[in-house]
Amino acid sequence: MNKKKKFLAIMLAVVLLSLSAIAAGAMSPENQTEEITIDFWHHYSAQSAENETLVNVLIPKFESENPGIKVNAVSHEWAELHNKILISAGTGSLPDVARCDIAWLPEFQKMGVLVPLDQEMPDFADVSGKLLESAMSTAKIQDHYYGLGLNTNTKILFYNEKMLKDAGVAVPTTMDELISAIKALSGTNADGQQVWGWDEPGLYGWNLCPFIWSFGGSLTNEDQTVATGYINSPASVKAIDTFVSLYKEGALTGFNSGDIPMTDGFGTNRYAMMLEGPWKIAELQGAYPDLAYGTAPMPAGEGGSVSVLGGEDIAMFNTAKKEAAWKFMQFMTSDFAQIEMAKCGQIPVNKSALEDATVKNAAFAPFLEAIKTAKARPTVAAWSEMDNELNVAVTAIINGEKTTQQALDDLAGVWDQLLTQ
Amino acid sequence: MKTKSNKNKIQIFLLLLPGLAVFCFFTVYPIIKLFLMSFSKWDFTSMRQQEFIGLQNYREVLADKFFWTSFTNTIVYTLVTVPLQMILGLFVAILVNGIKKFQVTFRVLNYLPVITSWVIASLIFRYVFNTEGLLNYFLSQVLHVTASNIRWLDSRWSGLTVAMILGIWKGIGWNMVIFLAALQQVPIDLYEAAAIDGCNGIQKFFKITLPGIKGTILFVWVMLTIGGFNVFTSIKMITGGNPAHQTDTILTWMYYKAFSTGKFGYSAAVSFIMAFTLGIMAIFQFKAMRNRDRELEEIG
Amino acid sequence: MKEKKSVIFFRYALLTIGVILSCLPMIYMISTSLRPNGALYEYPPRFFPKLQDVTVENYQYIISQNKFYINFFNSVIVSVSTVALAAIISSGLAFVIARFQFPGRKVLFGFIIITMIIPGTTLIVPQFELAVKLKVVNKLWGLIPFYTAWVIPFSTFMIKGFMENIPDEIIEAATIDGADIFTVFFRIAIPLSTPAIASVSIFNFLTAWEEYPWANTVINDNAIRTLPIAIAGFFGQHQFTQWGYVFAMSALSLIPVILVFILFQKYFVTGLTAGSVKG
Repeated sequence: MNKKKKFLAIMLAVVLLSLSAIAAGAMSPENQTEEITIDFWHHYSAQSAENETLVNVLIPKFESENPGIKVNAVSHEWAELHNKILISAGTGSLPDVARCDIAWLPEFQKMGVLVPLDQEMPDFADVSGKLLESAMSTAKIQDHYYGLGLNTNTKILFYNEKMLKDAGVAVPTTMDELISAIKALSGTNADGQQVWGWDEPGLYGWNLCPFIWSFGGSLTNEDQTVATGYINSPASVKAIDTFVSLYKEGALTGFNSGDIPMTDGFGTNRYAMMLEGPWKIAELQGAYPDLAYGTAPMPAGEGGSVSVLGGEDIAMFNTAKKEAAWKFMQFMTSDFAQIEMAKCGQIPVNKSALEDATVKNAAFAPFLEAIKTAKARPTVAAWSEMDNELNVAVTAIINGEKTTQQALDDLAGVWDQLLTQ
Repeated sequence: MKTKSNKNKIQIFLLLLPGLAVFCFFTVYPIIKLFLMSFSKWDFTSMRQQEFIGLQNYREVLADKFFWTSFTNTIVYTLVTVPLQMILGLFVAILVNGIKKFQVTFRVLNYLPVITSWVIASLIFRYVFNTEGLLNYFLSQVLHVTASNIRWLDSRWSGLTVAMILGIWKGIGWNMVIFLAALQQVPIDLYEAAAIDGCNGIQKFFKITLPGIKGTILFVWVMLTIGGFNVFTSIKMITGGNPAHQTDTILTWMYYKAFSTGKFGYSAAVSFIMAFTLGIMAIFQFKAMRNRDRELEEIG
Repeated sequence: MKEKKSVIFFRYALLTIGVILSCLPMIYMISTSLRPNGALYEYPPRFFPKLQDVTVENYQYIISQNKFYINFFNSVIVSVSTVALAAIISSGLAFVIARFQFPGRKVLFGFIIITMIIPGTTLIVPQFELAVKLKVVNKLWGLIPFYTAWVIPFSTFMIKGFMENIPDEIIEAATIDGADIFTVFFRIAIPLSTPAIASVSIFNFLTAWEEYPWANTVINDNAIRTLPIAIAGFFGQHQFTQWGYVFAMSALSLIPVILVFILFQKYFVTGLTAGSVKG
């Protein structure tokens, strides 16, 4: 009986403890103060320099300048952020402000959850006037602006200097040179491990568009209403064909679950080349400071040197505490915030920040050139779904379930439907 | 106990109330809701006004090749992991039952994988089965079984194999503990009588041990089948359904459709089909077990 | 009956191999968490790090982050609350079902059994809808009642089995002394069912401690994340996984589980064998 009493006492203690914990939870800061808290969702990855800057420099500065406003920043993985925003939109639990991939805005706008800033914010023209027009154009859907440009980027060629030198390969400048370089750099290293000429971490538009465009292919027509005749045009088919055959020859990898992650593979001399964005410079500096690598423009093909335009807008949702949210958006696009972020590889879109000495000398100078010729992925609401279909189609080619022509013909049909919805 | 007085009736009701409330609110209501959702058009854009569309979600699910891929994957996962877990678990239980020293130590250590969380175990397996990982190095450079690295995580069946190995590794300990308890219930004099009859170990196993623990076998079989259909975290962590949904199971596919594409109606239909399949299988398992009993009785 | 020495040796040998296979992944996890991140793709790969490479820097990093304590504390709150609520609620339910006749008793128990067959994740979509309606998305309250509801069927099933076996005489004796039903429940039924309640509580603790899909769906903020989502979040960056951090955090989060397991080892077995519940 004694033992049982002891156990009862433990159970009772557990109950009391948990009740007190719950009570403590109920007295969360929200209830204690009259401060406004705005939720800011982003996809700066949790251990990145960007996130450090955001949490330790930008938000404290904003909060001290705007007493009474607190910022609750939440980091999600890129794809996760997209999904979380969609779910929250459906359930009415959206954050106030989010950093959104420029490819997502049309989709969110179509759902009717974004605030048309030019209509609701009287000083919109002043604020947007300070930002690059090209960046602001990513936030314009039909006749209204649904966000502010936050940062821009594109991908350029990263190459391992030693591996190219050892193989006697020059830095490729054309598509033909790139393909023969990829082949020449693949094989085995001194330890007998396989090495690959090229790393491509996915089979999505972000990964495949530079190839398709540089081969002279395209995804849709100019008006973004039809895909048949574009994604399955001979040039597009040739681009995907080349990509897949490089994979089958063992010259290219990276998108499989079991592959070495991009940064590690490049840092440990297993991937000779890759197409990546400006954030990779800081990441390599942190993880593989001794690695000797160079950067070069995307090699030019029949379609020229065309990389894919990336970047993020900062947007406000219609359930937001609008005044505070707008203040935060202005702060994030101010020259102070933009220069701080530039130090971690985020290319500013604020015109005066771009004139700043730290920005001009930043490591991303080569990217500024590439942005001029980079193209955006289709700016349509159905892009996320189209992107998934592209992944499925190319996977089917790689598994040998369909020929490239077949798969892309089928894909064109699916895309046509998605584009008319 | 009698329930005459009103005071007692009230007290019984008060004891029942929290359980009933939680059960109705958080379990029964969602089940009903799931059923209704599966007949509705319910997605991101129509979260608040749902339209009754009859069987259209079910039609869409049954015509979807990705659903059938995930369905097949789940069935294969269950068919492979359940018997292997049971056989290996029973084997270990028999071994542990046959030793005198360190019984508790072996039981505890074999149970460790069971208490390791799915997230952590999946991450370890993903790291070990990485194309450049330790296992491939061991297979190709130490044992020289393969010339080149096996791409474990990159295709449908090899990716599922990794998830199945994880499932079996994690399940053996549980099977062992249950079977060990059952083995200890089998009367010792039966074995002694069999020994006098000149039965060898294998005969004893089939004539005495198996019939003696058949109730436990049925219980474990049903529980593991439910567990097999429930496979989710390991797939999500190890392959993420890649390449292109080929390693998805019913639940990861359902989750993807709901929370990545917003097709809640479709997902509800998938869930219902799964619950239905499980129900059918449970009935089938009980029937099969009863038939085998009859056969055993006839033989015996 | 004497067995040959060789047979016994053979058993121990096989069991030892089995135990090594069981523990190998965990040992590898700990050995990986003890080496610098850069050494994770070294060639040739090693099971144990080189002695001069052994470092606790991953642990230092994890522990130096406030986030870890917050995540850890969240997991503790959620698990302990779930255990406490489930223990009280299921005991009441089990007691009434086991000892009294009332209309709908069979239906209720049948329903409880049926919900045991349906895996919890199947209901994730309507439960999410419910969480939204209750406005508990992104709150710990979005976890606790749902976990409690998930574990109640099993817990009730198990405790009921125990309470049915309480001898009638004990209860009758108490009733004659004038005890009401609450007294019988708290003074007799609960103390006599302690082993069952303890063992289901351990399983409920493990369930809540390691739950991933639901928490990942409902919780957004870092400050409300439980350990499994925090660990998975480390891994989430698909181009660059810092395995050293992932495994250091995993090892730390396993400590309470192993403690509970070792301290209550006896109840584990009782629970498993009495009603046979899967953890």
